[in-house]
Amino acid sequence: MKYLPLILAGLWRKPTRTIFTFLSIVVAFVLFGILSAIDGGLAHQLEVARLDRLLVDTKFGAQLPLAYLDRIAQIPGVTVVAPRQILVGYYQDPKTPFGIIMTDRRFWSVRPELNATPEQIDRLLKTRTGALITVFSAKRFGWKVGQRVPVISNTVNKAGNHTWTFDIVGIIDDIDRPGKARYFIGNYEFMDQERVTQKGTVDRILVRIKDPNRATQIGRAIDRLFANSTAPTRTVSEKSDRQTGSRALGDIGFFTRAVITAVLFMLLFLTGNTMMQSVRERVPEFGVLKTLGYSDRGVLALVLAEAVVLCLLAAATGLAFAKLGIPRIGDISPDMGQLLLMPWSALLTGLGFAMAVAIVSALIPALRAKRLNIVDSLAGR
Amino acid sequence: MNLFQQIASVTAMSLRTIPSRQGSAWVVVIGMACAVGALVSILSMSAGFLRTIENTGSPSRAIVMSDGALGEWGSTLAHGQAAIIADMPGIRRDEARKPVVSADYVGYAIVPKKSDGLDVYLTVRGVSAEYLKLRPEIRMVSGRPFRSGQYEIIVGKSAQQQFEGLQEGDKVSMPEGDWLVTGTFESGGNANESELLTDSATLQSAMHTSNYNSMTVLLEAPGSFASFKGGLTSRPGPALEINRESEYYAEQSKSFSGFLKTVAYVVGGIMGLGAMFGALNTMYSAVSARSREIATLRALGFGNGAVVISVMAESFLLCLAGAAIGVAFAWALFNGYQHAMGGLVIRLAVTEQLALTGVGFALLLGAIGGLFPALRAARMPVVEALRAV
Repeated sequence: MKYLPLILAGLWRKPTRTIFTFLSIVVAFVLFGILSAIDGGLAHQLEVARLDRLLVDTKFGAQLPLAYLDRIAQIPGVTVVAPRQILVGYYQDPKTPFGIIMTDRRFWSVRPELNATPEQIDRLLKTRTGALITVFSAKRFGWKVGQRVPVISNTVNKAGNHTWTFDIVGIIDDIDRPGKARYFIGNYEFMDQERVTQKGTVDRILVRIKDPNRATQIGRAIDRLFANSTAPTRTVSEKSDRQTGSRALGDIGFFTRAVITAVLFMLLFLTGNTMMQSVRERVPEFGVLKTLGYSDRGVLALVLAEAVVLCLLAAATGLAFAKLGIPRIGDISPDMGQLLLMPWSALLTGLGFAMAVAIVSALIPALRAKRLNIVDSLAGR
Repeated sequence: MNLFQQIASVTAMSLRTIPSRQGSAWVVVIGMACAVGALVSILSMSAGFLRTIENTGSPSRAIVMSDGALGEWGSTLAHGQAAIIADMPGIRRDEARKPVVSADYVGYAIVPKKSDGLDVYLTVRGVSAEYLKLRPEIRMVSGRPFRSGQYEIIVGKSAQQQFEGLQEGDKVSMPEGDWLVTGTFESGGNANESELLTDSATLQSAMHTSNYNSMTVLLEAPGSFASFKGGLTSRPGPALEINRESEYYAEQSKSFSGFLKTVAYVVGGIMGLGAMFGALNTMYSAVSARSREIATLRALGFGNGAVVISVMAESFLLCLAGAAIGVAFAWALFNGYQHAMGGLVIRLAVTEQLALTGVGFALLLGAIGGLFPALRAARMPVVEALRAV
């Protein structure tokens, strides 16, 4: 600690150069933070995927008859079965369509991570056109409890038009992804009575099982049941479904790693050059230090310490900006904000990288300072 | 000496001293190479995606879907509607006076991606017999076409390369059993090439439906779109969504390519900012290393303008070198690289336009990175700088 003033004095010798190097590192670690948040958001979605939940989808596109629910419920190991029909529509802006989950009481036992109170669920079930929405959806569209919202869907209703009006009866949240889950949940019965085609069918059946270890077996048993029907099924665990979804764009992990590598490579040269210049200019000063009794190793440590202090301070600043700033991205673009989650571990990884960059980049200049002999360096040679 | 000669000689002099300041020059070059490389690489994905989607649509075709449909998947056309649409004016007819149209029914097949084994949904497009006349860009490259009434499909080359189990002779799990792959087609690398094609009636009967998703018609000429659309909208019956095919596909690609561009500029911009601080550092140190030289020149009567421009020129040159390396890397690594986004296969494209974007971006950063140091050089008091000698 007593060397800290000496280290800082060394760094502050040329303030402009130090500030620009500092800013470069800050910016690089802001980017590192954002990229970790992309990875972190995807990883978190997989983490919170419940292993005891199976999704029964149509294999070739045919809607699934409601009668499937009872047959699936009879399979040993299945605890709850719930219907799901998505109503696709938009509110005011045709360019941002979303899905409304039309389901019934059983849905809430399949998704216990939704914190709807028994009263809210009752109110939803008693209001034919009722809907429960998450905090995210409420914020995104500016909706309040008691509001009637017209949703334009491509599904035609009995009245022959595309407008489906819902009454918001409550606002809920997903405790696994607070503020980030987009849910809009309505009554299946309401939709099925109002629509003119595909009555009595659903596009997905949600299944909860007792023992997560039997997920694959039970999934196969379900698919076998309907293999020879007109609507064969394809059952996957929620986790593998999200895995597929997160890979839809391609390998995002590869992308973030590539960019992080490029950024660190750039920093290596930048910091290395700054330290090299600084050591070159201070040759006589190192001579003085050695004359005063500093060992060769002491001088080596001093140069390394300067680089480490510079990199760690700058990286910490950049990571702090990212950590504090990323939740704010959601205020500007809810869709982007929903995907980003910077884990605390990214701060440690970031600081680790900063440390590595500092040591690798300062090693050559530090060795040079170590090897200086007193006579030559005092003469400025 | 006039201004231009002054600029030329000062710039030449400063460039000759770069080798002695190599270390810091490399900082700018490498920084810019990384920033431009990242920007251009991500943009190449957006450009490849746009090219793939936009090449699918043609201005001489029109696509009809049900009213309010946001895409083919959300659209349903009844069997009778298809016949009415085929009778409209403005549609090209073949030698037998038959309208060149295809009523498409789209389904999907689930196949694993070769690269990671994860399942993706591939579009299976049921088409009418006229599909080759309608889409002349589709060309069989091997095997034979599917036969109507048989569970047979042909496979786009891109799909075949990226996904498992689509070789000729392979069987693909689809409704009512396994469908045989009988041939391979090319389609200029557009979105159709990521699809499987089969006979629409056969696919419909396997799916127990008589509905279509969309109807595509070949226009007599690109200009006949208005009369086609006019004929269709003035007829009684349910409203339809009628678009020129090229416009439909351009609209479909807009939001996603916009998203990719945003990602590219955010990532490239942040890296560029970092590289710009590096450039500022380098140019400030260049100016201070050359302070005696610059002061001497100014004492000799060289103007401020010449000094400013020579510093800027050095900054531009270093950034340009970095941009060239970055673009070259992006081109070597990604140009033509095939990438599957879900069930859509695109080829990344590092176009000339992207190369220019990368260079422009580097020059912009180089201008900022050079300007402030240049101004400092110009403002340096001559006497003090010379006294330091």
